[in-house]
Amino acid sequence: MLKMTHLAKVYRTEVVETYALRDFNIDVKEGEFVAVTGPSGSGKTTFLTIAGLLETFSGGQYHLDGIEVSQLNDNARSKIRNEKIGFIFQAFNLIPDLNVFDNVEVPLRYRGMKAAERKQRIMDALERVGLASRAKHYPAELSGGQQQRVAIARALAGSPRLLLADEPTGNLDTQMARGVMELLEEIHREGATIVMVTHDPELAARAQRNVHIIDGQVVDLAEDPRFHHAVHEARTGTPA
Amino acid sequence: MMLQIKPILSALRRHKAGALLIGLQIALTLAIVCNALFIIQQRVAHLSAPSGIDEANLLVIQNDWANKWTTQETDVQVRTDLVALRQLPGVHDAVASNAYPMRGSGWDQFITLTPDQTTPTGDASVYLGDEHFLDTLGVRLVAGRNFRPDEVHPIGNRENVMSPVTIVTKTLADKLFPDGEALGKSIYAMTSTPTVIVGIVDVLQTQSLANWQMKHAYESLIWPLRAASGTGIYYILRAKPGQLAAVRKEAVKTLYAQNRMRIINNDGGVLDYTQIRQRAYDSDYGMAILMGIVCAVLLAITAAGIVGLTSFWVSQRRKQIGVRRALGATRGDILGYFMTENLLISLGGVLLGVVLAIAMNLWLVTRFEMHRLSMFYVLAGVLLLLLLGQGAVLAPAIRASKVSPVEATRSV
Repeated sequence: MLKMTHLAKVYRTEVVETYALRDFNIDVKEGEFVAVTGPSGSGKTTFLTIAGLLETFSGGQYHLDGIEVSQLNDNARSKIRNEKIGFIFQAFNLIPDLNVFDNVEVPLRYRGMKAAERKQRIMDALERVGLASRAKHYPAELSGGQQQRVAIARALAGSPRLLLADEPTGNLDTQMARGVMELLEEIHREGATIVMVTHDPELAARAQRNVHIIDGQVVDLAEDPRFHHAVHEARTGTPA
Repeated sequence: MMLQIKPILSALRRHKAGALLIGLQIALTLAIVCNALFIIQQRVAHLSAPSGIDEANLLVIQNDWANKWTTQETDVQVRTDLVALRQLPGVHDAVASNAYPMRGSGWDQFITLTPDQTTPTGDASVYLGDEHFLDTLGVRLVAGRNFRPDEVHPIGNRENVMSPVTIVTKTLADKLFPDGEALGKSIYAMTSTPTVIVGIVDVLQTQSLANWQMKHAYESLIWPLRAASGTGIYYILRAKPGQLAAVRKEAVKTLYAQNRMRIINNDGGVLDYTQIRQRAYDSDYGMAILMGIVCAVLLAITAAGIVGLTSFWVSQRRKQIGVRRALGATRGDILGYFMTENLLISLGGVLLGVVLAIAMNLWLVTRFEMHRLSMFYVLAGVLLLLLLGQGAVLAPAIRASKVSPVEATRSV
C-alpha cells in the first residue's frame, strides 16, 4: 500500500544541507495499522507529509497503492490526495467558516461528486463518528474530541485507501483521546490501512506495528544504540 | 476547477463586514462611474455638435467704435468696411453681424404663431446679416430664397426694427410648423408685426451653449438687418480655402486703413473657429477631464480595496488554503475559489450599484435637467466593475494558489 525505498528528503540553504530523511525504507501493507514513533525532530512529520504527497522528496522511490509518485505533477498529486488519502491532523484543521456538513463535504466537492451522493456519504460518515445530529453546527460550537471526530468523518467520507493521522490525540484530554483512539481502532478493524504518527508510547502500543524513526531513518529499536542513547537522554537530560 | 458557490456564500456569511464594505464600495463606484461616463459622453457629444458653418475658413473680428456715431453714420462706415474687406484677395465673402455661432451668449427671441399668443411656440437665436450672410458663413439654403439687397436695413444699438422677412433653420421651421410647410408662413417675435419665412437653411448652431438651451441648439433665425450698432459689431470673414492666415494678417490692417477710430483687441479681437471652439467648450473639456480623473481615482481606490481585502483574507486563511490543498484542491481550485468569491461580492455590489446609478441619474435629471442615463452606460459600468474586480483579485488569488499543502501540517 505504502512503500518507500531509499527515500531521502534534504532541506538546502545556501550554506548547509540538512537531511530530514535519509535512506528511509518502510513498507506498509494493506489493512495494517502502523504507528510511527520517534523523538521530536526525528523526521516523523516529514515522513507523514511525504507519505501524504503534501511535499516532494529529494531521492529514492515512493509507491502509493502501486503508483510511483515522484514524477507526478501538482494536479495529479492533488487528485491522489483527494481520492486515496484521508488526513487526520493534530489540530483537526476544520474550516471555521463552514459547518460540520460543509466541512465533511470539502474533499467530496473537489472530487466533483454529485450532490446526492455527497450528501449520502457525508451523513454516513457523520453517523459513523456519532455526530450526525451536529451537522449544522460550526466547529467553534464543538468540543475538541467532537472536532477531531468531524475531521475523521471528513477523512472517511471519501473512502480513502490510506488514513494518515498526525498526532490525532495530541490536542485532546485523556478521555477524548481514548474515544478517538477507539474510533481509529474500530475503523482499522473494518479494514482500513492506517499510518499514525505519534510520540505517545501508550498510543503506539495500541497499533498493530510500530515503526521508529531516529535521525531520519527507520531503526530496529532492539539493535540500534541510538535509540538507547535517545532514551537515556530523554530520561536524564544528559547525553549518553 | 469546480464551482464552489455554496461553500463560498457560507464562508462569506461569516465575514459579512469585509464583504459588505467592498460590495458597497463597488456599488458606489458603479453609480458614480456610470453617471460620470455618461456626463463625459454628453460633454464630448456637445463638443462635437456640428455648427453648420464653414468653420475651417471663418474669421471673426470684434470691432468696437472709438467715436459716438449715429446709426446712419455707423452704417456708412460698416458698408465701406465691408466693401474693403470683400475686395481682399483672400476673402471669399464678408458680413457684419451682431453675433456668431458658439459665441457663448447672444440674442434670444421668443417666437409665436399669432400676435396675441402669450406662450411662445419657439425660442430662436437671432442673427443679423445682409444678403451675404449665408454665403459668408457657408450655411446651406434648403428651401426658399436668400434675402434681396432691397430687404436689408441697418439696425443700431437697442433699436426696435422689425423686418418683414426672415430665414429660419429647418429645426426651427419644423418646431414652429410640425405638420406642414413653414415657407411663406408668418411668425411673430412677441410683437404684432408679422415676419414671413422666405428661406430655410439646413443647420445653423445658436450663439449660446448653455446646458439649459441644449434642446434649442439649432433653433436659429436670420433677419436682413445690417448690424450698425454705435458701440460695436462683428465682422465675419470667409477666407478662400488655404487663405485664412493671409486674411487674418490683412483684414485688421484693411479696417484701420478705412478708419482708425475703432478698437480691435490684439489678444481676442480676431478669432478663428479653432479658438472660438476652444473658448466655447473650455468648461466642457475641463468637466470631461475632471470627471475622467474622478472615475480613474475611484476605480483605483476600489481596485486597491479589493487587493487589500483579498490579500488580508489570503494571509488570514493560509492554513485553511493548505488544508484545502491537502484534501485535494488543485491550484486551479484555490484560484477559482478567490475569483468566484470576488465575483459573488462584485455581483452583489453591481446589483446595488445599478439601482444607485439609476437613482442618482433620476436625481440629476430632476435637479439639473440632465438626460436620462442610457442603459448602455449601466451595462458598460457593470462589465467594467466586474472586470476590475477580477483583475484586482488575480494577484492575491495567484498567491493563494501557491500556498503549499504542507501548510496544513504547520502548527501555527
